[in-house]
Amino acid sequence: MPTLHTEAVSKEFGGVQALKGVTISLPAGSTLGLIGPNGSGKTTLLNIIAGLEKPTSGAVMLGETRIDHLPANAIVKLGVAKTHQIPRPFAEMTTRENVSVAVMYGRRRIKDTKRSLNEADRLLSLLGMDARRDLPASSLTVQEKKRLELARALATGAEVILLDEVFAGLSSDELRDSIQLFRKIRGEVGFSALIVEHVMGAVLTLAERVVVLEEGAKIAEGTPDEVVHNEAVIRAYLGFEENDSPG
Amino acid sequence: MRIAGLGVTFFGLLALMLLLLILPFAFPFSTSVILINLLFYTALAYSINFITGMTGYVSFGHVVFLGIGAYALGASADVYGLDPVLGVLLGAALGLVFALAIGLVTLRFRGVYFAISTVVIALAALNIVLELPQLGGSQGIILNLGFQPYSWYYTIWGIVLFEMLITYYINRGKLGFGIRAIKSDEDAARSVGVNVSALKLYLFGLSGLFAGAGGAVFAWTTSGVFPYETFSLNFSLQMLAMIIIGGVGTALGPILGAVVVYLPSYYFLTVAIGTQLIIIGFAVVVIALFIPEGIVGTLKRRSASLRELLE
Amino acid sequence: MVALAVILSDLLFGIMLGCVFAVVAHGLNLIWGVVKVVNIAHGEFIMLGAYGAYFLNVFGGFNPLLSAVVDGALGIFVGYAFYFSFLHRELRGKERITLRSEMVTLVSTFGLSLFMSNLAVVAFTGDFVGINWSPGTVALGFLELPLGALYVTILAVLIISTSVVFLDRTYIGNAIKAYSQDITATQLVGANPTKVASLATALGFSITMAGGALLTVWIPTGINPYMGALYAPISFVIVVLGGPGKMLGSLLGGLTLGVVIDVLQAFVPVSLAYAVAFLLLIPVLLFRPEGIVK
Repeated sequence: MPTLHTEAVSKEFGGVQALKGVTISLPAGSTLGLIGPNGSGKTTLLNIIAGLEKPTSGAVMLGETRIDHLPANAIVKLGVAKTHQIPRPFAEMTTRENVSVAVMYGRRRIKDTKRSLNEADRLLSLLGMDARRDLPASSLTVQEKKRLELARALATGAEVILLDEVFAGLSSDELRDSIQLFRKIRGEVGFSALIVEHVMGAVLTLAERVVVLEEGAKIAEGTPDEVVHNEAVIRAYLGFEENDSPG
Repeated sequence: MRIAGLGVTFFGLLALMLLLLILPFAFPFSTSVILINLLFYTALAYSINFITGMTGYVSFGHVVFLGIGAYALGASADVYGLDPVLGVLLGAALGLVFALAIGLVTLRFRGVYFAISTVVIALAALNIVLELPQLGGSQGIILNLGFQPYSWYYTIWGIVLFEMLITYYINRGKLGFGIRAIKSDEDAARSVGVNVSALKLYLFGLSGLFAGAGGAVFAWTTSGVFPYETFSLNFSLQMLAMIIIGGVGTALGPILGAVVVYLPSYYFLTVAIGTQLIIIGFAVVVIALFIPEGIVGTLKRRSASLRELLE
Repeated sequence: MVALAVILSDLLFGIMLGCVFAVVAHGLNLIWGVVKVVNIAHGEFIMLGAYGAYFLNVFGGFNPLLSAVVDGALGIFVGYAFYFSFLHRELRGKERITLRSEMVTLVSTFGLSLFMSNLAVVAFTGDFVGINWSPGTVALGFLELPLGALYVTILAVLIISTSVVFLDRTYIGNAIKAYSQDITATQLVGANPTKVASLATALGFSITMAGGALLTVWIPTGINPYMGALYAPISFVIVVLGGPGKMLGSLLGGLTLGVVIDVLQAFVPVSLAYAVAFLLLIPVLLFRPEGIVK
């Protein structure tokens, strides 16, 4: 499993510097949290890593391979998958078929339909979505659609998964369940995770290290504990609540 | 209900094609002639099915490939005396080449813009051909290929057979999943590793290839190529109507659409072609607004047992 | 001096042609920009306007300018009818038009186009007809301008400018502009989205049909049931050139097209000039999809 790292990635759009020389590193098998106030560039960084946008300068490396100039689907085939902040299921296909597409076209490039469907079933079981297997994806609840996003990302056989606000908008019960589920999956399937979040409780609990962005620049990096007590971080987050952790 | 993964639809279509194969020997001549026309429209329907039916990219200007194929046969027969069957192969080849070239540019545009650019290209092609004396300009090319109904029949039969097999094969396997993903949400498809651009281009190429072949056969049967008839947008419109009525993307849809649209006219010979188009136009409006999946799609949705059967 | 006269005359003709193309495309632009749907049958409504002018001329002795007014009035009703039959179901209650709705409209209006053009063949016969209207010419220096074309140009520019002023300065116009940017915002302004969208559509059709009437002055033998197949693509190219939804873009796009065609005609055969003009769409879509001017 390779290390993902960005080297001094900058991005400019029409006069605005969305990212200013951001360097982060995601060692194999680890979980890195990426936090910051709105507009700090988290989503842009994620999009650049996933190949949806190209950096103005800097590079994104997956192990020894440079990937920032590659199209998004090629990056998926190299083992980096991203979930969508607002779920985008293939509406007219069933949940199972949704996941199968990812199995077939992801890193493992499985051609056989039957095998793909079986693998899809296995992953859906892992995520507790057996009952929803044959339903059209459009009929799933929002939380189920978010799980489907994760299922698809896993199905691509990715070794690096970029999670874009998967814990947003959940009740405290749902949040606790999701965190538990995530831990369970980490146990069963090995992958590195880059978690972009606003929900502090999730990030601080799950991440081994955290990077904080503000207005496109990295202002802090360290363990969750270190970051939470960092003055620059507290200042950046006006109204940052220290007790945003699950019971 | 499946043998080696092949369902009822496959065997049904195969049986139909076998029937059509021996038909000229069993039935009077006139039936074959009617069928040539029907098979021709079926071929066109399958060709546009590859792009519009499967990906949802509406190719209003698809007639341009028909025109290219027609002129390929026309010019090669006229200038080099090329055998018409080879002319059909040439038409297919040129259809493929042009489709790839055009698709590389136009498939980047989304929905409406793609549709409009295809219209523009078709019209530009017509206007260019009108000014090329090598292609007969506005007079067109008159050929002397003779009345060869059996050759026509089996050539178009072969084209349709290939189209059916390829359509069926694409829909069943991995490609079918990728295509449905693209149709649902292109960007999401990319995010799970589907090479959307390549797949769209591949399908567009196929559609151009078969439209080109069909166009060449058209030139062969009319023994001539005339710019206004060959590049007529009415062809595009009829192609789209057939798959919309029959059911987009499916293996059964195009032939069903062709039958529904064309067979009635042979029984109502007093009805002029213009009126037929009025009815087709009206049918398309109604179907687009109220029954968007066409005949096959709607049947599949209504009945779980039919869903397995109809592909 | 003679060469200069020819060039100037060509240019002027190109401008006048461009203006009539512009007004013919303007209705499409308005609807495309506001309601965000493309009416594939646009050409057929131009054809309707042209035939309207023709019959008004034959049976009532109306000249095209007058017919444009009548057609424009008729167009309002036609537009409302179109909105409620084709668009209402797709747009009602939605915050933004979906891809699916775009496709449904594309296909249904294409069916409408097939229906209308072939019905016209049956109703009007396939013969090419025209209106004979020659109010004479006017001398402008060393140039002779046909008055008919000149009046049409003036009226065309008037129609487009009026629509721009209407959208900018009136309450309803502003509601329409709000709708084109954000449907929910329209409600905040206190307007009913359906009323706004249907009005915009009605206006669009009104302008389209008036444009069809004005067009007849330029095609004294060219009115036929299939003429839509030529003028719809011309309109699409114009709207893309000028930028969909940018009202003055119709003039910009129209003038560009008119001048390009007219200038090219001096060097290459007419058909090729049109071919090039059509193909302009592609580079614009590739490099400047918002229109040639920012």
